Amino acid sequence: MLSAMQRRSFPSLTVFLILVVAGLAACERRGGCTGENCGTIIDAAVAEPGTLLPPSSEDIVANDIDEQLFLKLADVGMSENTLGDEDFQPLLAQKWEWDGPLTLVFHLDPRARWQDGQPVTAADVEFTFNAYNDSVVASPFRPKLHRIASVTQRDSLTAVFRFRERYPEMFYDAVYHMRILPAHKLRPVPRDQWRTAPFGREPVGDGPYRFVRWQPAQSIELVADSTFFLGRPGIRRLIWRFTPNLQVAVQQAIADEADVREQLVTPENVERARAAKQLAIYTYRGNVYTFLSFNQRAPDDTTKPHPIFADREVRRALAMAVDRASMVKSALGDLAKVPPGPMSALLWIWDPDIRQLPYDTAQANRILNARGWRDHDGDGVRDKDGQPLAFHMLFPTTSVLRRQYALLLQEQFRAIGVRAEVDAVEGAVVNQRVATGKFDTAILSRSNDPSPSSGIAQSWTRAGFGGSNFGRYDNPAFERLVDRAVTTTRRDQARALWRAAMETLNADAPGIFLYALDNVAAVHKRVDNVQLRPDSWAAVLRTWRIPPDRLIDRDRVER
Amino acid sequence: MTLGTWLALFVALVVTAEIVRVLRHRAMRHERWRRFFRHRTTTWGLGILTFLVIVALAAPLVAPYDPDKQLDIVHLKNHPPSWTFLLGTDVLSRDVWSRTVYGARVSLGIGALGALVAVALGTLVGAVAGYYQRWIDAVLMRGVDVGLALPRIFILLMAVALWDGLPFAALIIVIGLTSWFGTSRLVRAEVLSLRQRDFVVAARALGAGSGRVIFRHVLPNAAAPIIVSAALGVGNVLLLEASLSFLGIGVKPPEPTWGNMIADNAPSIYTAPWSTLFPGLAISLVVLSLNAVADGVRDALDPRAEAA
Amino acid sequence: MGAAWLLRRLLASVAIIFAVVTFVFILIHVAPGRPCPETVERAVCEELKRQFGLDRPLPEQYWRYLVALAHGNMGNSYANGRPVRAAIAGTIPFTLQLAGAALVLDFLLGLGLGIYQAVRVNRIPDVVLGNVTLFIYSLPTFWLALLLLLAFGEKLRWFPVGGASDPVLCPVVHSLFCVADRLWHTVLPAATLGLVGAAGTARFQRAAMLEVARQDYVRTARAKGLPERRVVLRHQLRNALLSFVTRFGLAFPFLLTGAVLIETIFAWPGMGRLAFDAILLRDYPVVTGTALIASVVVVAGNLLADILVGLADPRLRVRAPTDVEVVTA
Repeated sequence: MLSAMQRRSFPSLTVFLILVVAGLAACERRGGCTGENCGTIIDAAVAEPGTLLPPSSEDIVANDIDEQLFLKLADVGMSENTLGDEDFQPLLAQKWEWDGPLTLVFHLDPRARWQDGQPVTAADVEFTFNAYNDSVVASPFRPKLHRIASVTQRDSLTAVFRFRERYPEMFYDAVYHMRILPAHKLRPVPRDQWRTAPFGREPVGDGPYRFVRWQPAQSIELVADSTFFLGRPGIRRLIWRFTPNLQVAVQQAIADEADVREQLVTPENVERARAAKQLAIYTYRGNVYTFLSFNQRAPDDTTKPHPIFADREVRRALAMAVDRASMVKSALGDLAKVPPGPMSALLWIWDPDIRQLPYDTAQANRILNARGWRDHDGDGVRDKDGQPLAFHMLFPTTSVLRRQYALLLQEQFRAIGVRAEVDAVEGAVVNQRVATGKFDTAILSRSNDPSPSSGIAQSWTRAGFGGSNFGRYDNPAFERLVDRAVTTTRRDQARALWRAAMETLNADAPGIFLYALDNVAAVHKRVDNVQLRPDSWAAVLRTWRIPPDRLIDRDRVER
Repeated sequence: MTLGTWLALFVALVVTAEIVRVLRHRAMRHERWRRFFRHRTTTWGLGILTFLVIVALAAPLVAPYDPDKQLDIVHLKNHPPSWTFLLGTDVLSRDVWSRTVYGARVSLGIGALGALVAVALGTLVGAVAGYYQRWIDAVLMRGVDVGLALPRIFILLMAVALWDGLPFAALIIVIGLTSWFGTSRLVRAEVLSLRQRDFVVAARALGAGSGRVIFRHVLPNAAAPIIVSAALGVGNVLLLEASLSFLGIGVKPPEPTWGNMIADNAPSIYTAPWSTLFPGLAISLVVLSLNAVADGVRDALDPRAEAA
Repeated sequence: MGAAWLLRRLLASVAIIFAVVTFVFILIHVAPGRPCPETVERAVCEELKRQFGLDRPLPEQYWRYLVALAHGNMGNSYANGRPVRAAIAGTIPFTLQLAGAALVLDFLLGLGLGIYQAVRVNRIPDVVLGNVTLFIYSLPTFWLALLLLLAFGEKLRWFPVGGASDPVLCPVVHSLFCVADRLWHTVLPAATLGLVGAAGTARFQRAAMLEVARQDYVRTARAKGLPERRVVLRHQLRNALLSFVTRFGLAFPFLLTGAVLIETIFAWPGMGRLAFDAILLRDYPVVTGTALIASVVVVAGNLLADILVGLADPRLRVRAPTDVEVVTA
């Protein structure tokens, strides 16, 4: 305390110091990095990751950083096509071939190296698959790999994938969900401690960038690997700066304290960002949809039906009571659409003509009356057998938008005599509650993979019980349609099947699909070749550049 | 705003002015209460408080809209202040004036009740500790030391966050239970000094029971610090409630409290500052008035006060 | 001063801290909903509980916690496995920096205004300043923070809108420039805390000086015909500063509490934010750890104030006088 006070005992001294030092700094900055491959990009992130170890983390910021640190075997291209393998870009795998209908062989790039100098080998690939598939690691990606039977090494640079069945997106499943891990670093770490392993806070990867430092509650810094085997990254230094919420993040981009805010979300923020001279606005397809999930099982016992939401008719009535179009217009203007089911515009099955429940409060009232939910005691809330039609709505504290939606929904439910109480809790606690089924309803956001097969099947079928089908929606007819859609080879047939599946799901109202955001990013104008891949904006960050004549102080600075 | 609400508002203003005038008139007869009104700020503070209490009580008359009603989420969102919407509308198209008025009920209510719990408890503990002294005093005061050692917002956050969905009454009690430590020390000090005074010694010599001595002789003479700490306590609790609600863990929405209003609208402060500005001003005004009144009470009841 | 008195105060302080730790431990363990980290299966959760010793009886957990604490080990965070000691140690410099800057502003400005007002008592400058300080003292800190951020951060762009340092130029302090950078980032949050504090200090100091002015010895001094300036500075100020020392001790809880809100709003990587996040995440080891450190700071502040007052005026040694509790939020 004393030293802190001595350092700045007089304001005038402070001012003096700042002036002198700013002068010094001006001299200091004149030199530094010039030319190509300089450049620093600061991302204003809305959350701090818990760990950077890929299989243990599902949060978006960790994923963005891991894109730079850990390579996949191959990745989808800007087209986002997931069928077959033509549109995939080689990364760790130099090439691949099919060895029979169920066997896929990858040849690793011999130039690939872990950042501690060890080569990347097929043993790493095998180790990675086994880790992702291990229930002790409890990776959220594990269920997406269930069609892969095994991964083995043929020689040190050849990995062999064997599938359980044949379907159009085999290649996609093989490469998209897993980032290859360094076996020699992780083998000694007990699998049950991966989530908190020191490796996750000081990772050693094989990607275009290497880890420099993590300052808790402040930032993570990466630096370009100038010898990266797929070409030297254009930007020399990447920094993720953590902010407590979206508002502060947007503010930092506007105040030129950050270069990238990949998602502005609200029209208000977009307007503010447009007014900032140094920012350029990029629009790209959204990959997230947000919905109110109804829990169909009792919150205290997942084997029993929920007293309210087990009734399909009640769910339908609640869905019809909500004016989704006006809500989107009010909260998000033109920056979002009402999703025609559990999907974002990223998915090729998106079709506004998919049949959905109409907004019809009169019908909603009739249904509730018919099901015996009437306001018997005259307190403005419907009840049945002495039980009021009241429930809790869970959402994360940090999400301004979902808070707004919770209040909008609450008011619309109130209008038909339904009482919804809003519960704001920490994001991780929301996840924990919905994962264990301890909730009535929750406002959840989900980012889509580029293919419906991995995501939708995961979140809305029995296979997702205990996984990401939090509300335990269960309809065999829907599952049959999804199964057929996933394995159908012809696109138009698959489209029709998906459509039928979505309409079945919509009619059951397992949730109310509220909004699907368009992505709008603000990026500093000096950055060139800004490519934002909708499913993962930072996937091709290594190709971004800053021309030498546009470098600013923070690009040139050497340390 | 309809004619009726303007009328009601006008009546509230007139009644306030009248109450303050009458109080002031009466006060002039007593030396100590004259001191109370000596400062213009105190008079204003009392006026503002009276006005807000009247408005809070008469909320249905003064507020033109249902405070929770979302008037038109598409067309009336973040409407700037106008004659129809005196303080504008908020991000959910609710009337800010109506919410401020109804919010006065909740916020002032929480402030008053929380402070009541705190002051009652603090007075009781302080009086008991100061009167009985010895081990009772030692135990109670060490407890108070512990209470003061842990930053209050810390206990509150834990209580509120760990048991989420704390009901309204529980919130008030928790706030009250964590706010009495300071008061108890003050009261104890006062009781300690009063205990030696002749009239207390005499009462005890005449065989009055301890309860009687404490409540009839000691506490009435310790009124000054108790009233002052009550007035400050209301402000403190109000600020606490606002902070908790701002952090998203206070009173549950859509209940209109001033803290909730700031929490709801802080994100749109750049485009629609009114819906954040006015509830903040309301909080400041109330706390300001309470501080001013506390100053006045201190002057009026402090036997030594002359020049302050 | 008496060694016995000092020893007694020290022991009492340790006892208080111990009681606080026990209290927090109990509070946490009677709270409903034991957490398992997100997206973890039941079996894994059980494993985690074993790993952290959550399946043992409460007294044993308490004992183990105390033993570990005695060895300087506060356990590991549930959320990310970092040692709690390291997590807290990383935040303390930032909180000290913020609190220190706020304290300096608080006391310099507050004392100056208070003394000035006392000298000019009931004249126009005093009345004006009295109203201004009263107003600032009544502002909710978080609201003031929002307004300052809006005005000086986003609109005027004089100061950064959050964070403790420039992540590119100064991720760690390695030059004089970085010290300035840190200070520049400190201005807004420290001003928010410091202004409200200074308003309180000014009010307090003015009242204390006037209180002293009524004392007999000051009257005597004045009656003897000593110059006014000398009366004020020699007698009033010196004695009023004494009660001010107590206020110094009481400033700590205020700064710590303010820190929770201010650090959250300004994205400041301090202990307040760490504690707040941990509470929301139900990261119990971090919660207990921060509670421990916070109470140590508060108790140490009180002890320091007591010692200073005792040094200056032995009559007050037994029990330092206490002001009305400081506004908390």
